[in-house]
Amino acid sequence: MGFLDAACREPRAWDLTGKVLANQPISGGLWRLDLALPHEVPCAPGQFAMLHPYERTQLVFRRPYSILAAQDATMSFLYRVVGRGSSLLAGLSQGEPVACLAPLGRPFPAPDAQTPAVLLLAGGVGLPPLHAWLERYGRPGDLPCFGGRDGGDVPWPLLPPPWHVAVERLSGVPSDREVFQGLVTDLALRQLAAAAAREYLVLACGPMPLLRAAAALAAARGWPCLVSVEEHMGCGYGVCKGCVVPLRDPASPAGWRNVNTCTDGPVFAAGDLDWDRFGSRQGGGAS
Amino acid sequence: MSLPAWWQLDVCRPVKIGPRELPGRIWTASGCFAYGLHAHGFAAADLPSPYAGLGAVVTKTVTPQPRSGNPMPRLVELRAGAINSIGLENVGFEVFLAEVLPELQARGVPTVVSLAATRPPEFGEMAARLHAAAAGMNHWHGVELNLSCPNVAEGGHDFGSDPGAVAACVAAARQHLPDRALLAKLTPNTARIAPLAAAARAAGCDAVAAINTVVGLDVDVVTGRPVLPRRFGGYSGPAIQPIALAKVDEIVREANVPVVGIGGIETAADALKFFALGCVAVQVGTAQMRDPFAAARVAAALRRPGAGGCWRR
Repeated sequence: MGFLDAACREPRAWDLTGKVLANQPISGGLWRLDLALPHEVPCAPGQFAMLHPYERTQLVFRRPYSILAAQDATMSFLYRVVGRGSSLLAGLSQGEPVACLAPLGRPFPAPDAQTPAVLLLAGGVGLPPLHAWLERYGRPGDLPCFGGRDGGDVPWPLLPPPWHVAVERLSGVPSDREVFQGLVTDLALRQLAAAAAREYLVLACGPMPLLRAAAALAAARGWPCLVSVEEHMGCGYGVCKGCVVPLRDPASPAGWRNVNTCTDGPVFAAGDLDWDRFGSRQGGGAS
Repeated sequence: MSLPAWWQLDVCRPVKIGPRELPGRIWTASGCFAYGLHAHGFAAADLPSPYAGLGAVVTKTVTPQPRSGNPMPRLVELRAGAINSIGLENVGFEVFLAEVLPELQARGVPTVVSLAATRPPEFGEMAARLHAAAAGMNHWHGVELNLSCPNVAEGGHDFGSDPGAVAACVAAARQHLPDRALLAKLTPNTARIAPLAAAARAAGCDAVAAINTVVGLDVDVVTGRPVLPRRFGGYSGPAIQPIALAKVDEIVREANVPVVGIGGIETAADALKFFALGCVAVQVGTAQMRDPFAAARVAAALRRPGAGGCWRR
């Protein structure tokens, strides 16, 4: 975890009021929000913002959204309408204010000379951190793969080549796009068989089954793997203890300990997570 | 008709709690701002820091041993509040004393340390250790006893709903805290709260903090089961404010003890309701989770209107 410790020792975030520049569906189920902030906010791929459309209503908590892009004073997000918070967000029109606390969390690391080629595995709204990573750090030989349920679940404008796309069902896939039918990890295995590189760093973000599959794929080959965990959050900045995940810790008496997704993550080395303790929990948090 | 106490209260002045003077009357509540170290380096257009104007950060409750807390999910948002069952996850008293408290002191954060234990003598032992180790720490102002904890020695009922147990915990801590403020945080989950406040006062506490969370439960209509694995949790946020105001009013009228008010405070107007009933200070809780600047904004708003820079009737 050394590089992660160095990444964000001193937290630095701004509580800003942004204004909606654009807010529209980018595919059947995913929306893109562009926010104009009062000034540029330096951030790194994998970090997130806590958003609250506070003039619409008073939510008890803000909602966490991964940063898709940050250019000058514009910050962009990709989201799925799943509950009260995201429904409110989807109702926002151009010019409406949004409270934005950002940037938060530890990012995916930048590659250095020793970093092998990178295999990126993104699922659904898990795309933003990896899309941002590829835009900023991508090198020839990196292998970006995205998985969705069907063609309507894929934000096509964000996924030109070199992105490879997997869908479980072919409905809604544009006729001019080549896709793999199946899981994104199966797509990755097919691409790896044809790829030149023999070793990869695996970066993954998406639902828990995808993260488990990514971790298993990397572990089977002895490759390093970093995953960004999606967890319901209350505060987003480390104070509520409502988003903990189990981390292996040989130094603690129980052999594991809880850490915050928001401040110790959301990016973790896959080998550090105690996958068996995640269980089948669901619900809770703010939707 | 006698004037209410708040008539003369300048809510922006420092506040004396027992032997200590704290720099302000707007505090953050325990469990809602962790150990007060996560928001350093946060900036906003309207305030230089989330700590600006705060009278105290009441730290997340620490227990004699570290605790990993309850299973997830632990925190559920409802329409006008949140239910939590975090389970007192904390780093443990030893780490807190060795690492957290010195950092708070170094950063100049006015601090009230929240303690919980399962036996009254443990409160005394932790208070004694604090008194010895932190004697020179001028930003450490006092201790708040979290009494919403199972009393192991007395069959597992919460200390907080039994006046005798409240008194035992307060007395145990008081004898080792001669020069710091001692507060008892009281539960609303009892028919009458004034006897608890009176017992705490008689045992030597300088003020009571009221209220802790209200017992609540939420059901997942898809599964038909309670959302929290342990069924019950502590309900907090705007929805509990009228309950808090009623409990505070009962204490103020029936128990002769200063009250630090807690319950759904998000704005200066919310805080003034508690001051109007006679509270000497207030704590911002759940709102602090949504907004790291929440308590600082309440403090700033209270300073704004008056000619002298301070709100006054």
